[in-house]
Amino acid sequence: MSFDIVVQLLFSGLSVGSIYALVALSLVIPFKASGILNFGQGEMLLLGAYVALALSLAGLPYWLVMVLTLLISAALGAVIERVLMRPLVNAPEFTIVIGTYAIGLIIKYAMRLYWQDDVYRLPVPFSSQPWVIGTLRINPVYAWMLVVALLITAALALFFQRSRLGKAMRAVSQNQQASRLMGIGVERIFSATFALSTALGALVGILFAPVAGIHPELGNVILKAFVAAVIGGFTSLPGAVVGGLLLGVVETFAGAFFGSTLRNVVAFAILILILLVRPNGLFGTIESRRV
Amino acid sequence: MRSMWTARLAWLLAIPLLAVLPLALDGYQIYIVTLVLVNVVVAVGLNLLTGNAGQISLCHASFMAIGAYTTTLLMTNLGVPFLVALPTGGVAAAVLGGVLALAAIRLSGFYLALATLGFLEVTQIAIEEFGWLTGGVRGLMAPRPTIVGGIDLGSDLHLYYAVLIVTLFLVWVAYNLLESPVGRAFNAVRVSAAAVQTLGVSPARTKLTAFALAAFYAGIGGGLAGILAGFIDPTEYGTAATLRHITFIVLGGIGSLVGSIVGATVLTLLPEVLRGAAEYGDLFYAALLLGSLILMPKGLVGLVSHWTRRGPVLSEDVTPAQDREPAR
Repeated sequence: MSFDIVVQLLFSGLSVGSIYALVALSLVIPFKASGILNFGQGEMLLLGAYVALALSLAGLPYWLVMVLTLLISAALGAVIERVLMRPLVNAPEFTIVIGTYAIGLIIKYAMRLYWQDDVYRLPVPFSSQPWVIGTLRINPVYAWMLVVALLITAALALFFQRSRLGKAMRAVSQNQQASRLMGIGVERIFSATFALSTALGALVGILFAPVAGIHPELGNVILKAFVAAVIGGFTSLPGAVVGGLLLGVVETFAGAFFGSTLRNVVAFAILILILLVRPNGLFGTIESRRV
Repeated sequence: MRSMWTARLAWLLAIPLLAVLPLALDGYQIYIVTLVLVNVVVAVGLNLLTGNAGQISLCHASFMAIGAYTTTLLMTNLGVPFLVALPTGGVAAAVLGGVLALAAIRLSGFYLALATLGFLEVTQIAIEEFGWLTGGVRGLMAPRPTIVGGIDLGSDLHLYYAVLIVTLFLVWVAYNLLESPVGRAFNAVRVSAAAVQTLGVSPARTKLTAFALAAFYAGIGGGLAGILAGFIDPTEYGTAATLRHITFIVLGGIGSLVGSIVGATVLTLLPEVLRGAAEYGDLFYAALLLGSLILMPKGLVGLVSHWTRRGPVLSEDVTPAQDREPAR
């Protein structure tokens, strides 16, 4: 196995993994704050992709589409949280799982009613001719995915470390009661985390659309994000990012050397293995439970 | 005691009614009513696991698929008679359910949901990858068998009676099971696994039993569904099917045997009533699930018992809030 092939596979693995990482982040951020694990998060991503598609078909340029989509999605996320998710906070886990799943399905079927099962392409502002560097061939669409994902991750890290809102989100995820006593509007933070997570999902939709196309099953990428989040321990943001990148790389290498069957199964094998051996993931903190 | 007499009365009324029902129906209507019975079996199984034992399962459809493929392949490839193949399909599903349970016993809540979702995906991939056996994405023909005494199940009417007998038997088993120590252990594990342990009942073994039992019911349901449709379509056993099964028990009444029957019946007949608005069907289904989850957490059965001011269907909520792990 030559070095070139390894680098090539590593690059495509990291690009796909960066998508998983972003989706995993969009799962973990609201989960930490509100305790709601959104099984319909894939459809939030879908919603963003269709918003971008509609704007793009209206003739707006890529950059404007991107900015507007993020804003619209954030607003939609806040509305969905307020109307549909809020009644689920503090509900039994079964209700949360099935409720968010149902919300996702409602979004998906509503989109399908209008857009049907057709696959749409979102235009990109650059040529998709691969750059050739030595023996390495780099697809600019994949490079763009990777670069944006890394930038966003860095921006999020900064946001959670420095900004008032980011700190408030962390406070709420640590202790809701204490946060409330410190004057943080906990419900406002719930809305903010869902707005942030839906915007993140929409961003993934835009980045991923040139590769996967826009169609009602696009949200299935959520399964991979679950695995990424589990690898990372589910409550750790850096863990989610590392988990996503790791999954992308492992999947790509498994596919290259052992064929597509293993590529498809490997994610779930990892999922079940980690849940069994180390349910708190590689980065999670171990919780003790009082009876 | 009153509930026991009500139950006996219900059986006494239901059996003759179900026996003469198909005589008033045409071929397609008999097919639909048979489908209702199959879905009742599937829903009863899931409700034992989720409603009574409190274990989230997003892979009930996988067990149905395992039952469907096992039953059909045994009959078509090995010539095994239907009366043997059907229970074997159920047992095969139960064994895999037990294996999944061995892995899932330590998990609960979100993690259990994820593990079962993973199992669902793996089953789908397995069906595709073993295409030489399962027919892959193209599906598999499931011809209707002839059973002992030369009764041809190719006739819709005969098949209806065969399915009716199986369904009544399995509902009867579930009813008695819930009144037995095993059923009480299910309910106790849901309310508090720790408390159950102090009483000398093993939560792990109880969960394992619940998983295997639910998988058995789904496997039998799958075997019946296969020959009823005459065809096994792998896409019928994916996430959409799983959500449908959950809607059966949520709408009917979670943790209630009557709820399973009501939910499966209403939701199997509903699409027939709503035929004119077929394209809105999926959307309606999902909205119904969310609506009943939020607005009537005890389902239709809970609503009725609330109106008639009888005792609550469930003694306590599915999972007490203080029993849950906080997200950190």
